[in-house]
Order: sequence, then structure tokens, then C-alpha cells
Amino acid sequence: MKARVPAERYTGASVRRVEDERLLTGRGSFVADAQLPGMLHAAFCRSPLPHARILAVNTEAARLAPGVVAVFDGAQMAQMASPVADPGDSPRSGGPVSFGILAVDKARLVGDPVALVVAQSRALAEDACELIQVEYQELAPVVTVEQALDPSLPVIFEELGGNRLFGPETKVFGDVDGAFARADRVVRASIRQHRHQNVPMEGRAILANFDAGSGQLLVRAATQGVNTTRQTLAEQLRMPLDRVRVVAEDVGGSFGLKFGASREEVACCAASRELGRPVRWIEDRWENLTVSGQAREESFEVEAAVTSAGRILALKVEMVIDSGAYPGFAPLVVDIVREMIPGPYRLEALSFTGSGVVTNKASYVAYRGPWAAETFVRERMIDLVAQELGISAPEVRLRNLAVRDEPPLRMVTGPSLAGITARESLLRAVEILDLTGFREEQLRLREEGRYLGIGFATYIEPAPGPRQEGGEENTEQVRVELDQDGSLLVHTAQMPHGQGHRTTLAQVAADEFGVRLEQVQVMVGDTQRTPTGFGTGGSRFAAMAGGAALHGARRLRGKVLEAAAQILDLAPAELDISGGELVGPGVPGGRLPLAELIGRIDLAARSGQLPPGTDADLTATADFDGGESGWSGGTHCCVVEVDAATGLVRILRYLVVEDCGDMINPAVVDGQIRGGVAQGVGAVLLERSAYDPEGQYLSATLMDYLLPTALDVPHIEIEHLSPVRLDPDVNFRGVGEGGMIAAPPTICNAIADALSPFGPRVLEQHLPPTRILELIGALPD
Amino acid sequence: MPEREVQPQASLTIRLQVNGEEREGAVEGRTTLADFLRDQLGLTGTHLGCEHGVCGACTVLLDSQPARSCLVLAASADGSRVETVEGLAENGQLSRLQQAMWDSHSFQCGFCTPGFLIQAAALLAENPSPTEAEVRHALSGNLCRCTGYESIVRGVMAAAGGPEPAGAEPR
Repeated sequence: MKARVPAERYTGASVRRVEDERLLTGRGSFVADAQLPGMLHAAFCRSPLPHARILAVNTEAARLAPGVVAVFDGAQMAQMASPVADPGDSPRSGGPVSFGILAVDKARLVGDPVALVVAQSRALAEDACELIQVEYQELAPVVTVEQALDPSLPVIFEELGGNRLFGPETKVFGDVDGAFARADRVVRASIRQHRHQNVPMEGRAILANFDAGSGQLLVRAATQGVNTTRQTLAEQLRMPLDRVRVVAEDVGGSFGLKFGASREEVACCAASRELGRPVRWIEDRWENLTVSGQAREESFEVEAAVTSAGRILALKVEMVIDSGAYPGFAPLVVDIVREMIPGPYRLEALSFTGSGVVTNKASYVAYRGPWAAETFVRERMIDLVAQELGISAPEVRLRNLAVRDEPPLRMVTGPSLAGITARESLLRAVEILDLTGFREEQLRLREEGRYLGIGFATYIEPAPGPRQEGGEENTEQVRVELDQDGSLLVHTAQMPHGQGHRTTLAQVAADEFGVRLEQVQVMVGDTQRTPTGFGTGGSRFAAMAGGAALHGARRLRGKVLEAAAQILDLAPAELDISGGELVGPGVPGGRLPLAELIGRIDLAARSGQLPPGTDADLTATADFDGGESGWSGGTHCCVVEVDAATGLVRILRYLVVEDCGDMINPAVVDGQIRGGVAQGVGAVLLERSAYDPEGQYLSATLMDYLLPTALDVPHIEIEHLSPVRLDPDVNFRGVGEGGMIAAPPTICNAIADALSPFGPRVLEQHLPPTRILELIGALPD
Repeated sequence: MPEREVQPQASLTIRLQVNGEEREGAVEGRTTLADFLRDQLGLTGTHLGCEHGVCGACTVLLDSQPARSCLVLAASADGSRVETVEGLAENGQLSRLQQAMWDSHSFQCGFCTPGFLIQAAALLAENPSPTEAEVRHALSGNLCRCTGYESIVRGVMAAAGGPEPAGAEPR
């Protein structure tokens, strides 16, 4: 069946979001808004120490406190839920790690949950937490990577035999030695990213309701995917999958944090099962900042083999990731950084060594563009190379970027670069910014003691990335069905938490099927009807779910036309569905509303009037892997002014030239880009998850962990490039992560350029005023 | 396990006008206005993002002035007039501000939304034609983690009917 092209398409238009009317009138439904009869409230007694043996937990007084229904310590919880065993990708050295849902013998970070109190209100539960007496034996905290590798300090997990979690493991691509032998010089740098974190405005949240009669656990979750949450809960609670139902409604942001089920969320479900009553936990901001998870703390030793002409032939990279206290996501990050570090550049060879450690800090979680270090390190390194060679930084990029019609159009690590427009994006950014004019103005203003700088970063983002030969099949499933009233129900495992999927998926399905936008309902967030798929993340939505919706709607349309043709005794080719009606010259009256048609198909099927083989089941399912679309990407450019007296950075101009394929809804796309850039502005200028040398967390309120405000984020200019369309049908690509991937190196490169008269090498990502004053020598380093 | 009845240490009755209606309730001394609105009156449109007065999601109008309802004790709001996000639309019609925010794709996840709407409504009541800089300044005490603020600023400017902000792109 061929694609239909309606005269006016929703796809490509900035239609208003169907989500908004509810949210704008205060009628959203977040977990904290849900009440159930008999509902109890959870609070956690948490470790005040980063590293300690737990010798005794006395919950007696807490149990007797007003309004308290139950208190569970780590040992009791261990009877109620399985420990987290071998989390994430298995650590590759030492033994497999496992740990309790609540801390049992040991606390491994400040905020580690030691006991759970369930009471009639959150306030009463918190009161009772104060009455729990925990006897700790303090252990020396392991706060830095250097400390983690110091054999004289205590180990965090005995089974690891040390604090190294995995590696070092080296993989080599291409002829590294040959490339370094040919190089005119080697540029070296130690580059690091600092720890920062997701901070969604809604923290983690869960409402667990175990029904003893049916043996079913019904969970309201704040999650990026109900299927993964259900899977985790069933495993940890040792329940059959079909006894766990997870439902999600509005989710107040996540940025990678809310996948699966956290230890606290498992504990609340276990408590609900034990008590036979609903238990709700709403994470407070202290908990969110201290223990929900943190990201990005990674350090790199880099050597680049370069020619005098500015070609970067090869890189040697050693990466160390600080996984924090409880292992999970970090090993996967190292794998993706290794694969992605060549980016859109013609690197001939790469040697990459990755390793990870555990420390007594919050556990490493996914945060928007989790592998973003590859872009940060590469793009900072390119500027350092440019500085050493005396060639302009955009020029070094141009001399190294892959050219689309020159083979091999492939990263040295394997993935195809088909369809990328990285080069075009850089050329366009340089043109828009008038680089020559800027350099003149920069020199002139320096004479007045004003320090302006310009920075560029070019990136690609797998969205979802090219098909990998021999790779695992990785698809998104969408089920499309016609309701009796003629509305089109589009079921997806995507779980929107700000992205507007209820609107954008409806746009795609409405166009393909031929109904009005308001006739489409996108159904999300209920494991009883949600199709398979892990949820929203990894920029999977546009190409994968969008493509599955397109193909599902197309398939269902074919079925409906087939059945309609039988009923009306016409050929399917004479019929069309448009505006929610069956239309065609042979249709009585020229048009037939879908609701009526569905009734007639149903009647015909039940009375045996359809010929054998006619499919009258008005649903269709499609699985889609993203097709031939692969990369989003582009170039960001930023102009800053640094005040050498105060160290304050003002962003004068921020430009994004990008390509995310065909846009489903440009306003939604721009919102994703701007939101990502804002997080990058925060990462460089404001945000840091800071620990003191004793492992105490210093950024536990929003007065200490600074998010960017409306005064910090500048106007962001966006230009969309025409994409290279490689797929016959689906050329949408994900766009969720690029802003946050490209903004930190762009801003850092601009600041480094502004500071160039002072001569520092900028080798880090966090550049608050104090650090800038250190870099220019106004404060002692 | 026996469940002990909770005897609130002290309960007092408060009366206040919420979105134009007289409401009454019994609160503990420590009950915040936010918790009273959400838990007792069922007005869950007011959100709690930090409970320490920084994020602004819980902003309501207290006697016409924006206030952080997480930092106001319900008892101290006795006798006040309170307006929440639920009171912005009239007779099921979105207010001009709400409509402009919708048209401008102002928000994403919607969690910070009530605080921004109330803060913006307060600004426009005081200054019907703010400049972009005035809008950004007025909203700078409200945190949004999704949008980068530009769409929110644009929505407020559109509601004010003033000149489009520098970055506006007609659609």
C-alpha cells in the first residue's frame, strides 16, 4: 500500500499540544495528586554518613510514634524483596555486586535508605524517622577516583575486592601506532567533566496498591516506561509479571532519571504488599538532590596524533568513570562513549581504555545524552589542537569532518555515517555568525579590556542511529485500533514526560490514516494495554515510534479499505479515508463517516457476509526499528563575554544549526533543543553536585544546586537544515538529547576563546566565576 | 500491628476565600497553605517542587500578591483571599494568558506550569505591557527544567499583546 498524501498535513506543523489544556488549568494528574482510601505515606530514615557499618537499627520508638503503621529495617526488607543483584551491565572485574533494597550491613552514601516508615501522613512518617536509632561504625569515605584506587582505603563492596568496578579494558580500532608515527605532533590533555544531575521538577514518586484479594499489585508510577518499571518490580518482589500492573499519567520531567524502579520505589511496593494497603512515596527535594542519582563525573587522558595541516589522524583515550555508590549504568556509558567519540570526523584510528570505580557518592544514572562526554572531550580537544597549530577552530573541524560522498563514510569504530549533514551545519553556522567580522570586533574590544569569545561544537546523536550489521533487533511497537465511534487509538510504549508524544504521535497517525487530529487518542502508560518497548529515552520516539505509528496506521487503513470495498462491492483503489470519512465516487452519498463504516463492517463480519479471508479485526500492529534514518546532529555556536573583574560570563548569542530529519512538530522540536541547551548552560555556569572531602553532600537544596533561570538562558536561535532522506517513508529523527550534548563544549570553547589573552588551557566543563578568576590568575588556583 | 489514632497536637479552624469561594478547614499548626490547598481542598493544581521556597511551582496569589504556598502556614492565611491556577479560567474558558501560553507551546512536562501562570498573571495585573526584560525578571524566581524559558517568555509577551520578543519567530 502506498503512502497517502493529504492536502493538508498535521505532520510538519506546530499544532498545539493536546496535553496543554489540562496542564494549564491545574488538572494534570501527577502521582502526588492521587489519593486512595486508606492510603499511607512513606518516609525513609537515611544514613547521615557516607560510609559506615550498620551495627544496629533500633526502630522501637518509631513503631510507637503517633500515626505509624509499620517500620521496616534493612533486614526485614531483605525478607520482603530480593536484593539488587548484578545491576546494569555486569561489572567486568571482581565479583558480581549485590545490595539490599534498604541498606543492611553497610551505608554507602549520605542518604542511603536504612529504614522505611509507613504512617498516616508524610509528616508523621518523618517524625518517626527521627526516632530511629542507628548505631554506625564510621569507615573512611572514598570520595574521589584517586581514593577509590588507593588500596589503603576501605572497600565499598567486599565482593569487588577493591573499589575498581570494571576495567581498565582497551579496545583498538585502526592502526593507532602507524597514525602516531605519521603525525607531525602529539597534542595531550587531561580533560574532565564534573558531576551534575537531572533535577526534574517532579522528583521520584510512587503509589503502590496491593490488593490481597486478587494478589495484584497496582502501581501508579512516575516513569519513562511502564514496562521496564513492571519488569523491575516483578523481579525484585518475586512476583509473576501478570500480577503487577503499572500505570502512569503525567510525569513531571525526568531526563533519564526515572527508568525501571528505584530501591525506594521497590520498598514502597513491598510495604504495600506486606500491609495490604496503598502506600505513597513522594520524593522530596533533599532526597532528589542527594540520592536519586547523579551523572557525568568522568575524566579523560587524551593524546591526539595531528599533522601540521590540522588533520587529526588518531586518538588515544583513557576514560575513568566515577560510578558512585551503587553500580548500574556506568559501564554502558563507557561503551557508548568509546563507540561515539569519533563523531562525524574522519578519524583513522582510536585506542580507547575504559574503567570505572565506586565511591561513596550518589549512584550514576542516565542524564540526557548520557554519553555526551565523547562530544565534550572531542570538541574541546579540537580547539586545543587548533590553538597549538595556530589554525582557526572551525577550520580544523572542516579539515576533519567526514564528507558525504567520500568513502569510507563510517566511524572508525564501525557505525555508518550515511546521511549526516555535520559539515553543512558548521559551514552554515560560520556564515550566520560572520566569523571574520566577529574576530575584528573581538580584537577591537580587547583593547577596551572587554573579553569576547566564540565557540563551536559539531556533533551527531544516534536518533536512533544506523542499523548495525549483526546487531540486536531493536524496535518500537505501536498498535493502532479503531474505536466504535471512529476514533483512532494509538497505543505506544513511549511514556511522555514533557515531550508532547500524545500530540506528535497523533499527528503522524492522523495524516497516515486520514482522520482529524482530534479523532486520534494516543494511549500510553498502562501495562495492561501498552505494547512492548522500554519507553521514552535514547531519542527513540520520532524515528522508531513515529515510524511504527505510520506503518501501523497504514496497515490498518489498508484493512479498513479492503473490508469497505467488500461491503460496498467496489475496488479498494476507488476508496479513500479522509477527514474521518470513507470517501470515493462509488460511496453512497460520496462519503461515509468512519463510525458508520465500522458498524457495517462489524455487522457484516458477524453475519458472515464478508468473504472468507477478509480481516475485519480493526487493529494493526507495527514494529519499526527506525528505518534508514540514523543520525541527528548539527553545530552549535556561542558568543560570550567574560568579565575579567568578576568572572561572570554573559552569553551574547547562541545559535543552533541542526538536522533532525523531517520535523513532526517544529515547536516541539525547538522546545527540546532549547531545553537541552538550557541544561548545558546550567552545567557549565552553575550546576555542580558537590561533596566535601568527608563525603558530605553540599548541594542538597536548590539554593546550593543552582538551576538556570529565565535570566541565565539566552535567546537561542535555531536553524533547521534540510535532511538527507534515506528511508522511503520515515525520516523523522529524535532530537531530545542533542542540545545537552553540544551546549557544554560550545560554551566552554567560547569561554576558552575569550580567555585566550590570559593563556589558560581550559580542561574542565564547570566554569563558575570563581574558576574563571582562577584561570585568568586573579585568584590563586 | 495496632494503629494508634493520631491526636493532632493542636487543631485550629481557618476560613479563607479560595478562587472566590468561602472555604473552611481544620489545620495543624505546621500545615502549610500548599498542603491545605492540595490535601484538604483537593486543589492539586498547585504543585510542590522543592518545599523550600526556591522553585516557585507552588506560587499562589495571597491577597493579590504572589506567595510561595510551601512557605506560608495555612493558619497564617486565615482570613485571606487565595487564588490558585484552578481559578484562572472562567466558566470553562481559558484566560487570555492561558490561551497565549498554549498557543506559544510554553510548557513541556507541566509541573512548573501553575507557578509560572500565577506569577505571570500577577505581573500582567501590575504591568499590562511589560518588556521582555521585565518578563524575564518577573519570572526569574520560578524554575523550569524543560523549556529553557524562551517559550514561556514568548507566551507572556503574547498575552500582554506587546511587541514580540527579540527571538520570536512567527509561525
